[in-house]
Amino acid sequence: MKKIFIVGAVAMVFTACRPSIHVNQNPSAGLADFSNYLAIGNSLTAGYTDGSLTVSGQLHSYPAMLFGQFAVIPAPKGAVGPFIQPLVSGDWGYPGPKYILGMTYNPCIPSDSSLAPIVNTGTSDSINGDYLYASGINNNQINNVGVPGIRAVDYKVAGYAIFAKLNKAPYAFRFYNNVNGSPNDELVHVVGNLHPTFFTMWLGANDVLGYALAGGQGNGNGTATPIVPPYLYNGSDISPLIAFDSCYDLALNTAISTGASGALINIPDITSIPFFTTVPAKGLTLSRQGQADTLNAIYAGYGYKGINFTVGANYFIIQDNAGNTRQAVPGELILMTVPDTSITCHGWGSANAAGVPTPIPNTYVLTTDEIQYIKTATTNFNAFIQYEANIHHLAYVDMNSYFKTLASGITFDGINYSPAFVTGGAFSLDGIHPTQRGYALIANQIISTINAFYKSNVPSIDVNQYKGVVFP
Amino acid sequence: MKKQVLAAAFLLSAVTTFGAGYQLNLQGIRQLAMGGTGVAWPWDASTIFYNPGGLGRMKTIQIYASGLTISPTTAFGNTLANSSAVTQRQTFAPFNFYIGGPIQQDSKFALGLGIYTVAGIGLKWDDQWIGRYIIQSINLNAVCFQPTVAYRVSELISVGAGFVYATGSMDIRQALPVHGQYGPGGSTDDDGTLHLHGSASGLGFNAGVQLKPSDNLQFGFTYRSQINMGVSNGSATFVVPQSLATSFPNTNFDTQLPLPQVATAGVAYRTMEDRLTLQFDLNYTGWNSYDSLRINFSQHTSSLQDMHAPRHYRNTLTPRAGANYKLGKVVSLMAGAAYEPTPVPNGFVSPDLPDADRLVGSVGVSIKPFPRFTILTACEGITTVTRNASYDFGGFSGTYKTEAITLGLGLYYNF
Repeated sequence: MKKIFIVGAVAMVFTACRPSIHVNQNPSAGLADFSNYLAIGNSLTAGYTDGSLTVSGQLHSYPAMLFGQFAVIPAPKGAVGPFIQPLVSGDWGYPGPKYILGMTYNPCIPSDSSLAPIVNTGTSDSINGDYLYASGINNNQINNVGVPGIRAVDYKVAGYAIFAKLNKAPYAFRFYNNVNGSPNDELVHVVGNLHPTFFTMWLGANDVLGYALAGGQGNGNGTATPIVPPYLYNGSDISPLIAFDSCYDLALNTAISTGASGALINIPDITSIPFFTTVPAKGLTLSRQGQADTLNAIYAGYGYKGINFTVGANYFIIQDNAGNTRQAVPGELILMTVPDTSITCHGWGSANAAGVPTPIPNTYVLTTDEIQYIKTATTNFNAFIQYEANIHHLAYVDMNSYFKTLASGITFDGINYSPAFVTGGAFSLDGIHPTQRGYALIANQIISTINAFYKSNVPSIDVNQYKGVVFP
Repeated sequence: MKKQVLAAAFLLSAVTTFGAGYQLNLQGIRQLAMGGTGVAWPWDASTIFYNPGGLGRMKTIQIYASGLTISPTTAFGNTLANSSAVTQRQTFAPFNFYIGGPIQQDSKFALGLGIYTVAGIGLKWDDQWIGRYIIQSINLNAVCFQPTVAYRVSELISVGAGFVYATGSMDIRQALPVHGQYGPGGSTDDDGTLHLHGSASGLGFNAGVQLKPSDNLQFGFTYRSQINMGVSNGSATFVVPQSLATSFPNTNFDTQLPLPQVATAGVAYRTMEDRLTLQFDLNYTGWNSYDSLRINFSQHTSSLQDMHAPRHYRNTLTPRAGANYKLGKVVSLMAGAAYEPTPVPNGFVSPDLPDADRLVGSVGVSIKPFPRFTILTACEGITTVTRNASYDFGGFSGTYKTEAITLGLGLYYNF
């Protein structure tokens, strides 16, 4: 009997010895009202990743993550579901297939194989017709108006959806009740019908990105003229500041027209993302003096001045927009889209097997001037976004600074993140859009800014519950 | 698209120590019940551990054995992310064995052997918990063999010293942030994993002086040297997606897991017609001898490099107090308490060793049913303060609390 008592007492001692940490911090909305949350933006907001739009990407978009955290806050100020996004049909990618990692083989050096992003052969996803997934259901409610490819200036373009579809970005269609019934409708009208209580707006990256992706082939100095006035610009131009300001202002005023509060997210420095930093400008490695002598002789023979190859790492030979063939200088960027085999098999950046100079074409190069245009435009756009946040009393999320932090490398919950392509963990296989974990880091930045500005207590996100790059 | 040589960098941060959380102060049952005190008063043959000098005071040869169970649990919470976790319940069973005494009746020389557990616990978090890329589970144990010699210089002074051979093992599991398209285990939800397993051994010594100015007032001073537990040819086993198999080859590793040096001073005072003995010990533990730790792999790739984690530990001063009260010829009661400050400063508090200041309380009973035979029992409760701390190397922070219950049973027999 006594023994049983002792065993019982011991069991009680063990049961009592179970520590716990109370983490309930009373999530609250503070001065904000998250009950009807709307996300406005481009591909980053849509959940685009690995070079395409997939249903997984959409379900793990940063707006979906934010909604999940806003929904933890109790009614009446917490978010109420469902969170409606115009989902595509699957995980292949829409309209084209996404990238996956796969083995690739160098045709010049058959033994040289490596893992690299490849287009996932197979099928592509569809949307339900060309039109709004949510059309006619959920009372036309839509919570994520993230349109891949859209610029701030496109918000005032009549018939933008039709124009974009012709340019292989058939995303905007989905947000109209009947695009054929109102072919000249502007996207800003779609936003005007949604009446959010809280919104986030991350627009403007594409106003500089199109220029950069085209290797600086368009107009970068802010004097571009519309191809269809007043606001439809060529995709490879940087949007002029005046057009940017007035269209951004209009989109913003539409979003807040029914009294919504929200957060404006500024534009990161796109020249620090892997798409522009993965292929090094100083990437021509010569191991023998003979190689350097041969190249020097070739370039001298063609009459180029000031080009000198040495043993070791050399800057690639590039063609700049003025038509000059010259060596790249420090700070200049080679685009990730430059075909690998062109460099390894056809001597791009040095000379080909026939002894002819083969500079990297200017469509794959951002020169010092072009980079400066991008940085200047980004700075000016961000100054305007901050000005708008100030005058409308909205939170201003300095994503530009956060990307700078990321560029120098951060460690979060046991994972090192950097802008290194694939291995950095934050950017997906297209080198431009984040991974799910990258989006979660971004969402946490937005949350901390919102909490500070609206005195709210929105819990941050467990980044590790999401995926990084997936390996075969 | 530019081809890549893919090097999935990861953080091998579960580079660990036999830190305060893994050090057990369970080498004697009566001493355990008295808050871990015992350097001044040679109660029984476990003085081989507590103060080798005390062995010179023993009147006869004694054989001593004890077994314990310890069940530690650590809770974690991240208030920012509203998430929490608790380690799985595990029970560990350290043991001790001593034999020793004068080489012959009334000799001033004494010999002894101690076999005792100095570390023997672990933590096991849920495999999917938020800190899995730092640690999923860890298990460290170390048993010491200590042949000891003591010499009673005079009635006042007795000295002793022992050579210490420590042997043990380490076992660490952590997740790697590489998801498989087809999954290492066939599922896309699986992370990669790393399992480090190895045997460790090291050498040191334990020396002490026991002073007995009177029957009722005694002092003890001891020094236990640092023991560098070297792990050589441990096995590092990776489970990663097939395309990364060459980046993370299964290989061997070497590392060092140091047990810190400890200097102890103590006093014991007997009063109330010899019924009540009070003890007070002070441990000075030299944690700062390892500012950083390394794991060296025998094979390297662009993804797999030697790992290095900083650990700026502080030396600590631990006060302990205990009492033994003789109810009669047969039964004694013991009680004690200690305050163990953590050696781990903020910024270095890793979930593989979520150390914090610890409060220790203990009680025990000894029963002497026959003149030469004694049974000892003890129960110790440990709780840490709730600590909000970060592990900057791993970009990880949260609030921790650890609790542990220890139960011990010991027997000794005097020949």
